[in-house]
Amino acid sequence: MLAFFARKLLRVIAVVFGTTLLAFLLMHLIPGNPWSNYSSNVRAMKGIWLDAAQEKELYRRFGLDLPLWRQYTRYIVGDFDEQGEFFCGAICGNLGPSIQQRGRTVQDFLFAAPDGGSFWHSAFGYSIRLVFFASCIAVGLGIPLGFLTAARAQTRLKRAVSFGLAALISIPNFVLGLLAMIVFASWLKLIPVLPNWNQPAHWIIPAVVLAAMPIASIARVTQTTLENTLNEDYILTARAKGMTERRVMRVHVLRNALVPITTFLGPVLMEMFGGLFIVENLYAFPGFGRGYWDAILKLDYSLAMGVLLLYAVGIGVVNVSIATLCEILDPRLRAAEEAAAA
Amino acid sequence: MRTHFPWKRALHSKAVWFSLMVTAAFALTAVLGPWLAPQDPYRWGASQADLPPVWVTDGPKAPQADFPLGSDRYGRDILSRLLYGTRTAFFLALLSVPLAGLVGTLVGLTAGYAGGKVDTGLSLLMDMIQSLPGIMFMVMLVLILRSVLSPSWFHGLIALVFGFAAVAWVSLARLIRVQVMVLKAQLFVEAAVSVGATPWQIITRHLLPNVSHLIIAWVINNVPAVILIEAVLGYIGIGVTSADSDNAFSVISWGGMFFSGRSALNRSPLMVVIPSVSILLISMSCILLGDFLKGISRPEAQ
Repeated sequence: MLAFFARKLLRVIAVVFGTTLLAFLLMHLIPGNPWSNYSSNVRAMKGIWLDAAQEKELYRRFGLDLPLWRQYTRYIVGDFDEQGEFFCGAICGNLGPSIQQRGRTVQDFLFAAPDGGSFWHSAFGYSIRLVFFASCIAVGLGIPLGFLTAARAQTRLKRAVSFGLAALISIPNFVLGLLAMIVFASWLKLIPVLPNWNQPAHWIIPAVVLAAMPIASIARVTQTTLENTLNEDYILTARAKGMTERRVMRVHVLRNALVPITTFLGPVLMEMFGGLFIVENLYAFPGFGRGYWDAILKLDYSLAMGVLLLYAVGIGVVNVSIATLCEILDPRLRAAEEAAAA
Repeated sequence: MRTHFPWKRALHSKAVWFSLMVTAAFALTAVLGPWLAPQDPYRWGASQADLPPVWVTDGPKAPQADFPLGSDRYGRDILSRLLYGTRTAFFLALLSVPLAGLVGTLVGLTAGYAGGKVDTGLSLLMDMIQSLPGIMFMVMLVLILRSVLSPSWFHGLIALVFGFAAVAWVSLARLIRVQVMVLKAQLFVEAAVSVGATPWQIITRHLLPNVSHLIIAWVINNVPAVILIEAVLGYIGIGVTSADSDNAFSVISWGGMFFSGRSALNRSPLMVVIPSVSILLISMSCILLGDFLKGISRPEAQ
């Protein structure tokens, strides 16, 4: 069990490092620099004119004049500053100064509220709260709906729910988000177009939009899993020996259906974190997803790297915990794993 | 192992008919766009700017019959732009999805069949790509490709095609890899090896036909994905038309309409609603078709 966990963890670390390298290279292949991506009239308007010397100084200050591999090691491991003092990089949790968010480090932007508020008002805090609400909605509605559609009797309700789920899964969250904005903000005027995120009621729409597709996919997976489990021979045996339907459900069906459903929660969470980047932009939600859009379009390398690193680590953590949870839930998997290791 | 496609069941299925109708309608629109469009979608003029749709008569401006859905802030006809946008969506779907499918199939077959170090390496690569948020990866690739490609009127389109393909192949490759690993352990492959079949023959004759249903289902599911990605990137302002190139040669797309529609959400929500509904219909028909095909490939579920 411990060996299994360690192997998974090692792999995740390797993947995260590979991912940062890939993201780093791609980011620096994007043409321009953090100070060139303003079009000329924006520059004139903001009065941002850099002469060669200023630009050189900025390059030096953020370490952009170093060769690319040095920049990468500087980011990951650390480097010596002007005084010859060593400073530690991403492996110590130092994600570097943000280029666009003046005077703030990336970890400060991600994990500390701008006005000195609590952690929950930081970019990461906002995003994680939104994902938490959305996943509560998705699991809370998805699994019961899946049970409903897996029921044997072909009722009208079941058909309606199945159709509704097919419709829900085909609405992309971007489209749903825009439509919700038009209906609730523009027509019904229930929420302002620019919501106030201190009011819990304003969270409902982004959370539901984020949860919409996961609700449908969780329900559909639950349905297929339950149907497959109900077709197994051991269910027939259990029924044949006179077990009550309730007990069959609890002892045989639920326990066996739990593993595929749990496995599926990993991709669902991933999908939700991916959806954050769209939903946050749509609603001007102050999470890290929107921070990323600003960062990548203005080439704030360190901030964009920070967000991607956070995402990759998050995905890794989710994957390892889901895999471990499945091992615990299903002794057969554990046996197979041990046999493979031997 | 080879089964015939149940044409009869398909013809009796409402879902299949719905999908066919939607696809046919969009294909016709794409082909006949220039003849259906009431206006030149590129023609702009201050006198015809910001027209409301024909049924809104109490607005600040009176609607004009030539502009059934009104016009945008540059005075371009919304209906015509919608019709032309269908062509972009079709072009993207027809080019990028097969490209991604090809790469995904090749990598999936290679990783699953070869196993060992090759498999480990390819799996690590796939894990790495999936550890980046897909849409963000695409944004970076599109930004890079747009600068690398010579600036022609379609370089945004090509960048999007390759950007999508570079990310989307992973999900297919994963599916195929697992399936091939399962198939490889089965007796008919062992039998083929024992009568002296070459790896090429095993892959093309035995493995590929047995994963083809996965490929078809994947392609159907990813057609709406690429259309949606275009719309999202367009909404952000880095779609096939760049934000500052409102010239005669820019490509008309639904994403571009989202981009110009987002600032006029209160005044003319239709500019966003209609492309949304189009995307919705396309994805709905693809999902229903996919469900039907899944039902066929699992005969025990009937």
